[in-house]
Amino acid sequence: MPKVFYTQPDGAERVVDGKVGDSVMRTAVQNGVAGIVGQCGGVLSCATCHVFLAEGELDAYPPVSEDEDEMLDCAATDREPNSRLSCQLVLREGTDVHVTIPPEQL
Amino acid sequence: MTETTERAYPPGTEYPFGPRPVHEAAEQYHRIAADRPMTKMTMPFGGDVWVIHRNQAARDMLGDTRFVREPFRTGERVVPYFVEFPDFLKTTIQFEDPPHHTKLRRLVQRSISPKRVRAMRESAVEFANHLIDEMVSKGSPANLVEEYALGLPIQMLSNLLGVPPEDRPKFERWAASTLATANMPEERIANDMLELIGYMSGLIEERRREPREDLLSDLANARDKDESLTDDEIMPIALILIIAGFDNTANFISTGVAALLHHDAQRELLLTDVDGLMPTAVEEILRHGGWALGTPVGGGGGLVPFVATEDVVIDGQLIAAGEAVLIDPTAVAHDGIVLPDDAEFDITRQNNPQLTLSYGLHHCLGAPLARMEMQVGIGELFKRLPQLRLAGEIRWNRDHLSQPMVELPVAW
Ligand code: FES
Repeated sequence: MPKVFYTQPDGAERVVDGKVGDSVMRTAVQNGVAGIVGQCGGVLSCATCHVFLAEGELDAYPPVSEDEDEMLDCAATDREPNSRLSCQLVLREGTDVHVTIPPEQL
Repeated sequence: MTETTERAYPPGTEYPFGPRPVHEAAEQYHRIAADRPMTKMTMPFGGDVWVIHRNQAARDMLGDTRFVREPFRTGERVVPYFVEFPDFLKTTIQFEDPPHHTKLRRLVQRSISPKRVRAMRESAVEFANHLIDEMVSKGSPANLVEEYALGLPIQMLSNLLGVPPEDRPKFERWAASTLATANMPEERIANDMLELIGYMSGLIEERRREPREDLLSDLANARDKDESLTDDEIMPIALILIIAGFDNTANFISTGVAALLHHDAQRELLLTDVDGLMPTAVEEILRHGGWALGTPVGGGGGLVPFVATEDVVIDGQLIAAGEAVLIDPTAVAHDGIVLPDDAEFDITRQNNPQLTLSYGLHHCLGAPLARMEMQVGIGELFKRLPQLRLAGEIRWNRDHLSQPMVELPVAW
């Protein structure tokens, strides 16, 4: 069972057991992880699921698509090179994920 | 004979149900959600609709692309709802499905994205304080709806769209009559609609000739990946932004202030750290603000429905192809499953999965703007007038599609 490690802007960490096939966004929303809103449900139209993905894990996921790229520009907290929309990060067997939640989502 | 009367539900789980004290209403909602994920209800207009009560089932439905709105737009199905939907609202983006919906949404979402809204925050704070100054100079008591709650969203929307500030009073009148559901002469509604459309066409034309830094210019000159928008496409977007853009937000601000005036302990808590607590307070107001006014609540409300394109099972319940389904945002905020103590008004809740601004493909495009305006509007007011108190009876206009608060008498 893949684990997702969510780090809040203040450094507090929460670890959640995820389901293969679910996204990092969905896992957060279902477990009440603060700071990930995910209002569009993952259709790349709200930019409220922005996270910073651990540097070492960037290559483990398909690259940022054109639509995701456009929405990352719309996020409330300025994007960084390791910014992703967590609705696009799908959990895989045997792969844990570490993300940091930005200070502002809305 | 309707499904609700044909099928016997266990006692205490009837839906819809009449007004009762909030804790009793919450208990009824808990029992309903424990019994079943949804109820089939016959609406005053358009026949039957499934009404979803459970939060997770609502998210599953709203996130499922097999539910669409096209049959409403084309007239193949009447929208089952509490009131008859005005025709023009059925031409707006909320009744579109992909791919056209995607094209329209793309053009607008950048302009009201979280990032753009963050940049508007400072001017919102400034304008809120300007409104407070004016209200204070006229003296206490005041009708907060008129003097404050309407002014802020109208100004923000005018800035965003690029509507000249001096034309703002006209919008208030046009919106009031286009959303009227009763007690407004048909002729006046038709005239106001025509006037609004004429006005907007003129403005779009102007922006096409001389673009500025505003949304109307963006729309008028849109070239979205080799697609462009026709006037017929721009108009409904502009209309829905105008109408949804300030009517709802003004109502949220009034409701939020009224809720805090009804809850002394929560208000005192807010005053200890207004900026720090406003984000969670706003989510709680969206979820529960209407209940926090202390008036009895009934069960049976809902957002705009969808139609199933094929047989779909949601949370164990079959929704047959062609059937309509909607969520009751009040029910899903009080299902007794997602939140502990959901009948309490608690502005510190960190986890608040309310669906008042919807979710999924048709989540409210203006949600970041509405949230910011609520945070600023309610926050600045209590910072400036911490001694604010109720000074009379609250009144609503029930003959209006959104049933807004029209009088909130306050003193300071
Ligand atoms: S959930 Fe909306 S963009 Fe990811």
